Amino acid sequence: MSADTIILAAATLIGLYMAANIGANDLANAMGTSVGSRALTLKQAVVISIVANLLGAILAGGHVTNTIRKGMINPELLAGSPEHLMMGMFAALLAAGIWVHLATVFGLPVSTTHSIVGAVVGFGMISVGVGAISWGKVITIAISWVISPLAGAIIAGAIYYLIRNKILRSETPEKMAMQWSPYLIGGVLVVIVLSFIFKGLKNLHLDLGLGQAIVIAVPCAGAGGLLGRLWLRHLLHRDLKREDQEAAPLQSFFAHLQVMTACYVAFAHGANDVANAVGPLAAIFSVVKTGSVEMQVEVPVWMLAVGGIAVGGGLFAFGSRVMETIGGKITEVTPVRGFCAEFGAATTILVCSRLGLPVSTTHVLVGAVVGVGFMRGMGFLDMRLLRNIGSSWVITLPFTMVLAMALYKLLTLFFL
Amino acid sequence: MRFSFFSLFYKSPFIKLKDHADKVKECAWMFKRAVECYVQKDCEEFDKLTEDVAMLESQADWLKRNLRNHLPRGLLMPVDKFMLLDCLREQDHVLDNVEKALYWLSFKPEGEIPEELIGDFLHLVDAVIPAIEKLPDMAEQAIVYFQSSTEENRDKLKSIIRDIHQAEKETDHLEHELKKQAFAVLKDPVDIFHVVRVVEIIANIADDAQNASDRMRTMIAR
Repeated sequence: MSADTIILAAATLIGLYMAANIGANDLANAMGTSVGSRALTLKQAVVISIVANLLGAILAGGHVTNTIRKGMINPELLAGSPEHLMMGMFAALLAAGIWVHLATVFGLPVSTTHSIVGAVVGFGMISVGVGAISWGKVITIAISWVISPLAGAIIAGAIYYLIRNKILRSETPEKMAMQWSPYLIGGVLVVIVLSFIFKGLKNLHLDLGLGQAIVIAVPCAGAGGLLGRLWLRHLLHRDLKREDQEAAPLQSFFAHLQVMTACYVAFAHGANDVANAVGPLAAIFSVVKTGSVEMQVEVPVWMLAVGGIAVGGGLFAFGSRVMETIGGKITEVTPVRGFCAEFGAATTILVCSRLGLPVSTTHVLVGAVVGVGFMRGMGFLDMRLLRNIGSSWVITLPFTMVLAMALYKLLTLFFL
Repeated sequence: MRFSFFSLFYKSPFIKLKDHADKVKECAWMFKRAVECYVQKDCEEFDKLTEDVAMLESQADWLKRNLRNHLPRGLLMPVDKFMLLDCLREQDHVLDNVEKALYWLSFKPEGEIPEELIGDFLHLVDAVIPAIEKLPDMAEQAIVYFQSSTEENRDKLKSIIRDIHQAEKETDHLEHELKKQAFAVLKDPVDIFHVVRVVEIIANIADDAQNASDRMRTMIAR
């Protein structure tokens, strides 16, 4: 077996480790509100997230990515020593994987993107020097700690406020839900279609402007909204005919909406976050193959697929146990609340990334849940935990930075 | 292992309020049986029932403390925390007064309630029971309302609160009648004092239930 094969096998293993951790932490959080509100059973959630995540990774994942994730350092600085870049990527993947693993064990939802970025910065600082880091980009990440939860809270809170005042508190919630259903379903579809156009389908090189995209999205949403209204009527009739009035028809309507947003969140996760594990892996492969340092690397489809499967596997192996305990425990997440949090998070991510603000799915989702809570909607929220979660977000960068530095030193010591 | 994102969602404290209310309701039946036993004369069961009520009271006390001790400062709630604690305290007073009424009866085991008053006396006890029995329903409906926040569930909760008010009004009326009769029928001041005191305590039970429901009404106010 040649040295190259061993390197590639080791890199793949570490990439899979990172991917599985991403699934266990990130994806479990993203699907948790749906399981908590019983819009999805545990099995359904696992299957949906694995399928949607895989589709997202293959169809919408970045097939070409910057050699160094998010362009934190200029790869040309390492042109003379491709083996250092390779070792750096090893160290970064491992450091990020260990951090996400630790966070999962302590039950803290952290951003996997921030983990890998922190690790890359750590490796950059030790290999090419502090000056080589684009600190502006690091600062935008720090800003996202504030922006993501805040924007998520405001948008999700506003959505809950609207639904509560227009539907829940009306004299005839079922009738009002009928009236509002085209707008709700339409709104969900607009967000999903716009996200696909702007982020998801960049592989098709459509290059549409905002105006054109809206021209496409609105009729889609209109048609979907009308269909949705018919479907809701069917749903309400069915539920009203049922013997037990306990199964509130409104709840099942929102549970169905929630399934839509849950699918979208899993798809978006596949599109954006699988690359956190696969991107550095592709960089290692490129160095081994070409023996030089490129600005950008191709990510082969098989790698995205394997990454997507590994993420799903991580969710299945670890996340399912976690979600099982929640599924039985939580009574406070109703479909209405879960829908508001998820839809609010999806909208926030779309709007903010369109405005060029750096946001993280995990941060936005936590913010959205709290936002619905502040509207007196989420029932009872233990805010003490927020401090722990917030500190884990801040610790992510320094921790992965230092760990990647140490690992990089060790690796170069032994192998170079 | 804990999972912080989901530990964010705190279990509704109204579930514990309901557990407490269930204990209170359990006491209501024992109280009724004890009083019926008392007026029948030479009843063996009375002491046993009083003891049982005391035991339930201490269990309910534990539930009360458990709720109070687990409402941390950092909890984001859709209701005022102190209103919830007030509601719990009033609910607990129901039990205290049930226990107190039985003690007062036991102070005069030979005196008993005069024949002329027994009918109205039992009537008063019967009138208090519905007020107590509605407390678990009220807590249950509060759980449902704070989950769904629909107008329909709010109306249901309001109607339970109205029922409790209605029961209290009835006991008020019976209390007056009984006191009036006590002065008309009884001659011995000690007997009058005893009957009036017991009647007042029993009527207070309904007042406590009403106070608890008033707190609930404030919690769902808009």
